[in-house]
Formats: sequence, structure tokens, C-alpha cells
Amino acid sequence: MDKWILKLVLFCCRLLVRQGVDFERLKIIAETKLIMDRRRVYLNWRQRQQRENSNPLMVTLIVYAFLGLYAGFMVFVTRSLVISAIIIHAYILFMMTMTMITDFSSVLLDTADNQIILPKPVNSKTLFVARLVHILVYLLQFTLALSIFPVVFLFIAYGFLVGITSIATVLLTVAFAVFITYLLYAAILRFSNEQKVRDIVGYFQIFMTIFFAVGLQVLPRLVNFGNLLDNFQLQAYSYFLPPVWMALTLESVQQFNFDSIHSLMIACALLLPLFTFWLMIKYLAPSFARKLAALNNDAGTKKSGIPYTQRRKSISEKLSSFLCRSKSESAGFETVWKITGRDKGFKIQFYPSLAYMLVFIFIFVFKSGRDVNTLWENLPGSRMFLFFIYLPMLSITSAITFVSYNENFQASWVYQSTPVGRPGQIIIGGLKALFLKFFIPAYLILFAFAFYVWGTDILDDFALGFFNNLAIFLLIASLGDHYLPFSRQPNVKQQSGRFAQVILQLLVIAALVGLHYLLLTNDWMIYSLIPVSATGCFLLLRTIRNLRWVEISF
Amino acid sequence: MPVIRITSLKKEYSRNYVLKGITLSMDAGQIVGYIGPNGAGKSTTIKILTGIISDFEGEAIVMDMDVRKNPVEIKQKIGYIPEQAALYDVLTPIEYLRFVGKLYQLEDSLIEKKSWELLRLFDLADKAKSRMNGYSKGMKQKVLLISGLIHNPEIIFLDEPLSGLDANAVILVKEILSQLKLSGKTIFYSSHIMDVVEKISDRIIIIDKGEVIADGSFETLKNNASQGSLENIFTALTGSSEQHQNTAGQFIDVLKS
Repeated sequence: MDKWILKLVLFCCRLLVRQGVDFERLKIIAETKLIMDRRRVYLNWRQRQQRENSNPLMVTLIVYAFLGLYAGFMVFVTRSLVISAIIIHAYILFMMTMTMITDFSSVLLDTADNQIILPKPVNSKTLFVARLVHILVYLLQFTLALSIFPVVFLFIAYGFLVGITSIATVLLTVAFAVFITYLLYAAILRFSNEQKVRDIVGYFQIFMTIFFAVGLQVLPRLVNFGNLLDNFQLQAYSYFLPPVWMALTLESVQQFNFDSIHSLMIACALLLPLFTFWLMIKYLAPSFARKLAALNNDAGTKKSGIPYTQRRKSISEKLSSFLCRSKSESAGFETVWKITGRDKGFKIQFYPSLAYMLVFIFIFVFKSGRDVNTLWENLPGSRMFLFFIYLPMLSITSAITFVSYNENFQASWVYQSTPVGRPGQIIIGGLKALFLKFFIPAYLILFAFAFYVWGTDILDDFALGFFNNLAIFLLIASLGDHYLPFSRQPNVKQQSGRFAQVILQLLVIAALVGLHYLLLTNDWMIYSLIPVSATGCFLLLRTIRNLRWVEISF
Repeated sequence: MPVIRITSLKKEYSRNYVLKGITLSMDAGQIVGYIGPNGAGKSTTIKILTGIISDFEGEAIVMDMDVRKNPVEIKQKIGYIPEQAALYDVLTPIEYLRFVGKLYQLEDSLIEKKSWELLRLFDLADKAKSRMNGYSKGMKQKVLLISGLIHNPEIIFLDEPLSGLDANAVILVKEILSQLKLSGKTIFYSSHIMDVVEKISDRIIIIDKGEVIADGSFETLKNNASQGSLENIFTALTGSSEQHQNTAGQFIDVLKS
């Protein structure tokens, strides 16, 4: 697809630019960059991307088109053109901006051109136009994927004129998205340290991944919500929002209504993106390029000069001293605690599964088919707290797998070169860190909520639940293959887990939760089960701690 | 009394022997250069001696302990700095050294004190609290050197330790190695950089295709080969000098075409 768009863009270029551009070189530069685009690994789809020759860009575009399909359904769901158009344009604006920030940042922030292309006999105008062509092709691909369904639906529902106009408004929205991205980058670049810039981009990437994970679950369900939007009124402030300009432009085309407010909106829709675009090329882009160049020269040297005695111990270092039995164990604990908080690869994989907790609650509320108020009133009489007790476990067990991966997996040589007698000690340290860092806070929040609703009745259940959760967590860790923390290469073909093992896991979990459910009314049984469960945890803990080298996989 | 004894050491990878029967013994307080082209079996030998690979034929004794039977005890007394070593660079050097130090079973306070001192000596004190993903290759290499020496090992295995270091650091590391030797440590040094090996080694062992092809002091080797620098000895011994000239000639021809 990108080849066709490239041809189209190059054709337009030939018409517009005559002098000083070498089209053969322009073409080869743009083509090469598009090939690299196709191969760039999209962080959002890390897990699914396993074969090297697959086309991650295409997968991303298909997912975008799929999400666009849902946004496009708004055209049929609501009878109001304005509302559906606002949703469609807001969606495109949001997605374009986020894509530009998270994905295209690697292209925009890349200064390799200066080293690779500038020393070759290519004049600067050709290079400039080539970059422009590349960005245009990139943008048009995503625009096409995002807007193909909404625009087609607009054609079907409101006829030719609105359809044609919507193509223009979509393109104007994309121009605005580019401007917003540039503004954001200009702001980020104030942190002159390259590492900071990459960190911030990383946070956006994590946010996007969570958005996708949650969005794919929630958006389709929101379509039923459309009827609620029919009695929707535009507030005064909404006239400042770009999607509203676009929507009202479409409306005035549909109704041939050019009163003052509609004319004003058309003017905004047409002129503001063009004006900001001009502003960007004229002022923002040059200063952006200068800052970018400065960025690569600045190694970020700041002298701290703090003598070591003043160094404060981090939380993990304080905790490990009384939670871990051996040195190896506390090494595992501290390192897992620190790296899980910093490594982007881990965060991108794991944070969405944390966000799934919210999705489960959301689905649970929606599935009930009742409105939130009745649900709330019936809650204290129900046994829903059991759901809250075991909810975090679903998300947090995934960390056991994710923590074995790291971009720097080669660094795991230290485990072998150092005198580690029982690698199980490192693993148990890591598991403790994961449980303490991710499970406990989630459990405490859910407990606080449950305590507010059900009162002291649920104390025993949460106590038993705590040990059951810990037992499940340790059980899953001890049944699977054992890997030392951060020792596996990500993106390699993952071995499919042994089927029998997974079934066994599920059976044990079902048995524990089922038993808890059956005994809910029987307080003394719950209390007497707590020591049983705690003993189970202790035994599992000991089994894992005693793992030998032969039991570790690499 | 030799600290390292290897007897007819063999190692096969998928029916292909990378070590074809190496027999060596090394005394304490020596710097031994272990040289060979890529794929000669240098790293494999070191991995066996450091207890990382336990599946091999023959016998390997380090400090009177069998590497198959007592790998943990041996690892406690040796230091290993591998080739192109990676480290967890989202950590700061202090945190990384704390991690490795704990794996060496050192006391927290001792790790902390030693780390700061050693980083300061390597001119890294002002960056000791920033994460290493902004570090250059040479700076990471310095941290790795420290991490392999922090427990004051008796024998030090180094696999291309100078790659990526700047000129000053190379001189410093050479000096450190010489002084370690003076304090009685044994250094087993694998490299293909002839220049460095020639100057600091007491003994040079050249291996190729899994076999020892020369063993002795630089002087002995030089006399044997009756040629100038060690590099010439090396190419003469591995028999590839003419081939290089040939390839270079063809390269120029293609450029001209």
C-alpha cells in the first residue's frame, strides 16, 4: 500500500517542485525509509510479533482500521451527524497524535541521516523534500487506515457531498494532529537530556498500549451507549475544539446552512490547521531541528558530587534486608524491584494486564444489565467481594513470565560467573519483589473498598484470600519452567506452555476459589483454613528457594 | 604449585570439536596471554575454567578444586570479565555493583564502600548515580571490570577486556593488571590484540582450531618464529598472511572495476 501512496505523493511532488531536487535520489531515500518503517517493531504488538518476515506495520494498520470501524458505526448509531462526526474526528485526532508521538518519534528523533546521507552527494533540498515525502506517506497510510470506514459510512449515510467534505476535514484534522505533536515535542525537548526525552516517549508508549488493551474491550461495548448521546448539547467551550469545527462544517454542508456560527466554524476548520501548519514550518520546525542537533551532542553530564555516605537507601534495599534470608535472595529482590520500575519492555507488557483489572470491573458492571445505582444498592447483600479478592491475581501472575524477559538478556551471564549455589534463591527474591510491589497495593485498595461496603464481615475472607492468592502465585511460579529474572530474549518464538500443566494450574485455582466460595457462610472453617493455606505457601516457598541449576531453563 | 591444571580438555558442539585436547598448567602470580583467532576456542576454555560450562571431556582443576564438582567454591575465588559483556543498564553502577556484590556474598557496607572508591578511581564517581543506559561502551566496560574484581579474586579471567576503552583507560587497566600480578594474583588473559598481550604477558599461549600451537615467553616465541612483532608470529603460526594480501588485492580490483 505504501508504494502506491509513495507514487501518488511523488507525482504531486513532481508537479509542485521543479528546481534543485534530484528525483532519483529522492525516490531511493524515501523508499529505503519506508522499508525501515515496515520493519520497525511496533511496541504495541510486541507479543504477537514473532516471525521476522512478518509486517508489523500492516498489523498495526489493520488494528487501526478495525478500531476505526467501531468509531464509524457511530454514524448509524446516532441520528445526529454532528455527534458522530465529533466522535470520528476526535478519534482520528487522538489516534494520529498518539501514533506520531509513540511510533514516529523514532523517526523524528533520529539524527542518523546526518551521518549517513549528508556525507553522500545529495543536496540539502533533495534531502528535505525526501523527509517530507516520507512523513507524508507515513501519515497518509495511517490516515487511510483510520478513516476509511468512517468516511465510507458517511458517504452511505449522508450522501456524496458530505462524504467528499469529510475527506477534506479528515485531512485537516491530521494536519492539526501533526501540529499538536510538534508542540509536544518542542515541550519535551526542553529537557535537554536525550534519555529524558526517550523516557517520556516511553511513558506515552505504555499509555498507548494500555489504551489499546482496554479500548479493544471497552469500545465495542460503548456502541450500545450511542442512544444516550442523542440528547447531547454543545457547550460554549466546545467551540474551541477542533473536532467540533469539523463536525459543524459537515453539518452546514449537509443542511446548506451557512449562518454565522457555522461560517465561523468552517473558517476555523479550514484556516486554523493551515495557519498552524504554516507556523510550524516557519518557526517551530527550525528550532526543533536545532534543539535536536544539540540533543545528540549533549551527553547530559551533570556533576552530582555527592559523597557516598549521603546516599539514601532505596525502598527495595530497605525492604530486602528484613524480607530476604540470603544475599542471593536480596540481590534478586532488589534488582527485580528496580528493573521492573524502569525497563520499558517490562512495563509495556505488564501494565496493560494491570489495567485489565479495571476492564474486568467494567465488564462486570455492564454484564449485570442494571444501572450503577441498583448495582450499588444490592452490593452489600451479594457475595461479590470474592470477585475482588481473586481479581488481582489474574493480572499479577502474568508478571512471573514477563519478568524473565529483558532486552539486555545477555547480562544474565553474571548469575553463572558468580558463586550462586542455589539459583532458586534469586528466583524467590524476584517473586517476593513482584508480589510485594504489584499484588499487595492492588489487594489493599480492593480490601479498602470491600471493607467500606461489607464491613468487618469480610476480614476473615480477605485474610484467607491473601494466603490463597500467595499460594496460587507461588504455585504458578513453581509449576512453570523456571527462568532467572531478565535472562530471556524478548520477541523470540515462545515455547507453548505444556497443556497439562496449564490445566493443572486452572484446576488448583478453581479448587481454592471454589472451596472459599462454599465455605463463605462458615466463619470458623475459614479461620481454620488460614493456617492450612499459609503452610501451603511456606512449602511452596521452600520448594522454589531450593531449586538447583539443573532445574533452571535458559 | 600450579593454580590451574587442564588435562586433555575437549569440548564438542553438535559433533564438532571446538577444543581438541588441551593440556596446560599455570602457576600463581603470572599473567598468561591466551591468543587465537575467532572461533579458536578461547572463550570456551575460559567458560570451562570458570565453571560456567560443566559439560566437557578431560579434566580441569582450579586452585586444587575440580570445576565439575566445586563450581560455586571456585567462582567465589575467581573473577570473570567476559567478552562483549552486557549489563543491566537501567541500573546505576552503584546498584549494579550492589547486585553483583551480593551474588558474591559480600557485606552491603563493604560493597558500598568499595564501589564508590573504585568508581572514583575510574573517574566515574560523578556519574555513579545515573543509570548506565546513557553510558558509553568504555564506561560500561569499566563498571564490568570493577564487578569482576570487587570480591578480590585470586585468579582473574579476562576475555578481551580492553575493547572499547579509551587510550588512558587502556594504560590504567594494563597497570592494574601488572600490580595485581605483583600482589600474587594469576591473570588469564584472552585477546587477539597482539600489542597488549606482548607487553604485559609472562607467558603466551597461542591456540588455533582448538589446539595449542605455541606456548612460551614472548622471547621464545619470537626466536622460534624469527620474526619481529608478535603479530607476525601470530599470522605466521596461523598461516594466513599471504591469504590476507591476496584478499586485499582482489578488493582493490573490484573497487577499480
